[in-house]
Amino acid sequence: MFHALYTAASGMTAQQINLDNIANNLANASTSGFQSRRVQFSDLLYQSEIMPGAAATQQTTVAAGLQIGLGTRPGNTEIIQTQGDLSSTGNPLDFAIQGSGFFQVMLPNSQIGYTRAGSFQPNQQGILVTANGDQLQPAITIPANATNITVGSDGTVSATLPGQTNASTVGTIQLAMFANPGGLNSVGNNIYLPTLASGDAVVGTPGGSDGSGSIQQGMLEQANVNIVDEFVNMILAQRSYESNSRVVKAADEMLQGLNQLAQ
Amino acid sequence: MDSGYYAACTALVSRTEALDTIANNLANASTVGYRAQHNVFSSVLQDASNASQSPINQAMNSFGILSGTTLDQSQGALQKTGNNLDLAIQGSAYFVVQTPNGEMYTRNGGFQLSSKGQLITGAGDPVLGASGPITLPPGEVSISADGTISSQGAVAGKLKLVQFPPGTNLTSSGETYYAAPPKTEIPATDSTIKQGMLESSNVNPVASMVELITAQRSAEMMQRALTMFNSEMDKTATQDLPKVS
Repeated sequence: MFHALYTAASGMTAQQINLDNIANNLANASTSGFQSRRVQFSDLLYQSEIMPGAAATQQTTVAAGLQIGLGTRPGNTEIIQTQGDLSSTGNPLDFAIQGSGFFQVMLPNSQIGYTRAGSFQPNQQGILVTANGDQLQPAITIPANATNITVGSDGTVSATLPGQTNASTVGTIQLAMFANPGGLNSVGNNIYLPTLASGDAVVGTPGGSDGSGSIQQGMLEQANVNIVDEFVNMILAQRSYESNSRVVKAADEMLQGLNQLAQ
Repeated sequence: MDSGYYAACTALVSRTEALDTIANNLANASTVGYRAQHNVFSSVLQDASNASQSPINQAMNSFGILSGTTLDQSQGALQKTGNNLDLAIQGSAYFVVQTPNGEMYTRNGGFQLSSKGQLITGAGDPVLGASGPITLPPGEVSISADGTISSQGAVAGKLKLVQFPPGTNLTSSGETYYAAPPKTEIPATDSTIKQGMLESSNVNPVASMVELITAQRSAEMMQRALTMFNSEMDKTATQDLPKVS
């Protein structure tokens, strides 16, 4: 009975964390390039009062053991890798990835960060940077007097200069892929860092057969948050929290009854 | 004292234990790959020598205890995650995991990669293939319905899937791992792998809530019975009977 109280409390704590995560997903429903996360739970240890298959007598074994579980805990939050919707912006420096690759950007600490938010702008030197000023890698410089910029699905960036009829290539966008993108570390600002779990980045050319995807110019990838799913999960989290609190109440009432026995 | 007193007391203890199992099921209603536990109540005779006793004596000395918990092996709902290393099993099979405590079985297919490129569970233990731990090549992997892992057309391994004959007692070990008696596993035949999906917990919240109410009300009944033994009958014995003259 005392277990039931703590077991239910573990369930309530888990659902609270679940709700925190849902709140973050919903709050980022309009963040382009955002990938939603989902909390994974695992069960805690079991108190085995009778092990299944233990000897009941010399000839027979018990049919089913008596194992009392001690609750749940949040195990990890994995990144959901589904493709977000592409929305047309008309801005020639907005790129969306259709596939599972990531843009590489140089963070202020000279580390390479990975992002799917493809809204770039040229800085004073004409180098393409993210909204936070992180340079796209490999660096691409847009000539200041370029009249037209075209990005092919294979990542080739070409610019047309005044007085020229043919566009000239100014750089190529490369995409990074991970064996387990679900294990990336979110550090905010739409940036992911590789971890031991995600594996090292494998850099490839967009549009190939490696699955990294193709570049869509003038488009942005919307957050892959599915509002309906999140609402359903929110209701489930709330109801699950309620059912756990109902267990706390039941355990409390049974304890109360026990105390009244002595009167 | 009255054996009924102990019968009610035993029943009260078994209902409180039953509540622990129900609490664990409800707490794990969102745990991927969790198998619900069901309580098994049974009656025990207070004393095996009672076999020679009269039926009324046997009935009075038959106590209800919580004798065990069984795992519900029904299929949990599959939910889509889109993650390549999320695998759900449709059917009765289990994944095999190498843990420090020996081989364990799990239905939780939320797998990841280790620093060595091995396929591991969320708890960090290697998932076993037909020939030991599976090392994944870099890049995108696809896993077919029979568990064959391939990357860019090249086969990288095959997941080991096992099932158990009906009635095998699996032991819950936490981390959604289950242990089985030695030499009971047989190769899985009826199961398919769904990549990019996870199997939700097979806890039925409605049934759990009904069990919860039943356990609570039945505990109240036992408490009421105990109170009656305690107050009314003993009062009769100690206060009313001596006055009869």
